[in-house]
Amino acid sequence: MSTVLEQIEQQIAKLSARGVKKNTGNIRTVADGVAKIDGLSDVMYNEMVQFPGGAIGIALNLEEDEVGCVILGDIANLKEGDEVTTTGRLLSVPVGKALLGRTVDALGNPVDGKGPIDAKESYPVERIAPGVVVRKSVSQALFTGIMAIDSMIPIGRGQRELIIGDRGTGKTTITIDTIINQAKINKVGLASGDPKFRPVYSIYVAIGQKNSNIARTITALEEAGALEFTTIVAAPAADNPANLYIAPYSGAAMGEWFMENGMDALIVYDDLSKHAVAYRQISLILKRPSGREAYPGDVFYLHSRLLERAARLDGKGSLTALPIIETLAGDVSAYISTNVISITDGQIFLETDLFNQGIRPAISVGLSVSRVGSAAQIKATKQVGGKLKGELAQFRELAAFAQFGSDLDAKTKAQLDRGNRIVELFKQPAYSPLPIELQVAVLFAMQKGFFEPVDIRKVVDAAASLKSFFTTRKDALLVEIRTKAALDADLEAKLQAACEEWKSSFAA
Amino acid sequence: MASHAKIAEQLARQFFRLSVVAGAVSSEQVAGVLAYVEKHRPANSVMVLKAYHRLVAAELAKAEAVVEHAGAVDDATLAAIAAAMTKRYRRPVAATARPSAALLAGLRVRVGDDVYESSIAGQLEALASSV
Repeated sequence: MSTVLEQIEQQIAKLSARGVKKNTGNIRTVADGVAKIDGLSDVMYNEMVQFPGGAIGIALNLEEDEVGCVILGDIANLKEGDEVTTTGRLLSVPVGKALLGRTVDALGNPVDGKGPIDAKESYPVERIAPGVVVRKSVSQALFTGIMAIDSMIPIGRGQRELIIGDRGTGKTTITIDTIINQAKINKVGLASGDPKFRPVYSIYVAIGQKNSNIARTITALEEAGALEFTTIVAAPAADNPANLYIAPYSGAAMGEWFMENGMDALIVYDDLSKHAVAYRQISLILKRPSGREAYPGDVFYLHSRLLERAARLDGKGSLTALPIIETLAGDVSAYISTNVISITDGQIFLETDLFNQGIRPAISVGLSVSRVGSAAQIKATKQVGGKLKGELAQFRELAAFAQFGSDLDAKTKAQLDRGNRIVELFKQPAYSPLPIELQVAVLFAMQKGFFEPVDIRKVVDAAASLKSFFTTRKDALLVEIRTKAALDADLEAKLQAACEEWKSSFAA
Repeated sequence: MASHAKIAEQLARQFFRLSVVAGAVSSEQVAGVLAYVEKHRPANSVMVLKAYHRLVAAELAKAEAVVEHAGAVDDATLAAIAAAMTKRYRRPVAATARPSAALLAGLRVRVGDDVYESSIAGQLEALASSV
């Protein structure tokens, strides 16, 4: 018996001592995070290759006698003639709940100084998006906490909603608000002990952002208590373009883990314009043929394969994507903008003019749309805000015409007045998302005309007073709205009575 | 400049194709190519010849098994390695010994781009990268 075991052990020892085959090449040129390598005849497309000094690369260009690789990591010590070896593996990043509350780089390495990450699993950075059969239609709401969005441009779990606008119009703020709101909902839901409650975990991917901006975002999330439900993937502007290129895919892999394991996740790509620029830089150095605006021919595929990974899976979880695109002078018809608009399930367009007028969030209702529509809304929101988008669109049209003449009939004046009130009501400060039940209460008061007697300049104060009244004195009613998620006759009567009570106290 | 490099690369590749006869680099053909370049002096000759040199060197490396070793290697071992590589690559491969103390012990065989590592230094390197 022991002889047999010894024979097997000898065979194992023999095999273990056997030589390892490696396929190698030598760096011919290295520039701007891209290396051209002679050799590597066995390398596969997208395979990870090992550079000296611990840097790794991804084989992107397979040519007759050379390979083009993007290098991730420190390229300062690489030089012509250095040996590069294939690994036979695809680039992977750590995934799982261990990443929550952490800031990592494009490869999943911690950069927050909080020690190593104890991740049990890793997922490949590049994955094929879920197919048609495993997908389920989007029908569960993902509340952003921003009244204008939740009531008029609702976002569902598994949806891809683009946030587009010029610089400094509040694109990042909307996403940070959404992340904070998820954390707030998670805390309430987990504290309630409801077994059906599904928390939403967030991933914020910063692509080409200034380090100071990333630090500000982390601070905002930390102060709001949202960091514990969030992973930040940081590929700042100072990183080499390869890191910027790979960062959103790494974030998507981290989000997919939640989706595959029956959980819900939200991912923010901030922003894909800079991602496209990084990819253009890599492509030009790789000498790929360039097309419109010098972007390579596969720039559409760059974003479509990324955003298609966001989905709601049948019997599993979901991954909701909020990509951001920065426009120049409000031009939504630019190359990358139109590409991403056509890939996503809707867009939230932010206007500089509105922002400068003090209407914040500066959402242009006319140009914003959610293709999922009311399927991703709870019944209560539909009941109180179903006609809002149409009303606001009419208001904008009337307001444009009203500029030409001063003599307006009473009906038009009333419509304009109501529109102005709605616009005022939707103003919301940054980093203070509203719970959906409070949104329902405010919209109910608006629909029932409780803001009609209030002077337009005081509508914001009145809304703040109403919110404060409901949170401090009508908590039970808010809980009832949240749990029922629809307004029945009884709830409507209670809301009416509460609004009456507030009206008398506010007037007094 | 970029287009010059591209044209030089294409010409070098043409020369290289002419230099390979029956799957091996022919010294007569190489001499012919060099004579042609000497006579006609194509544009960017140096660039062309550098690219040609790289292609020929890569091809010649495929027919040679460079055996780096830390200890002594006898002729029988070299012959066995040459036979094994000839069988594996289905083309004649000659073995050349090259002493390398950096390996500490064992062998490293290089045929073209492929490296067969069974040295102590290689194993230590693999261990270090896996920790």
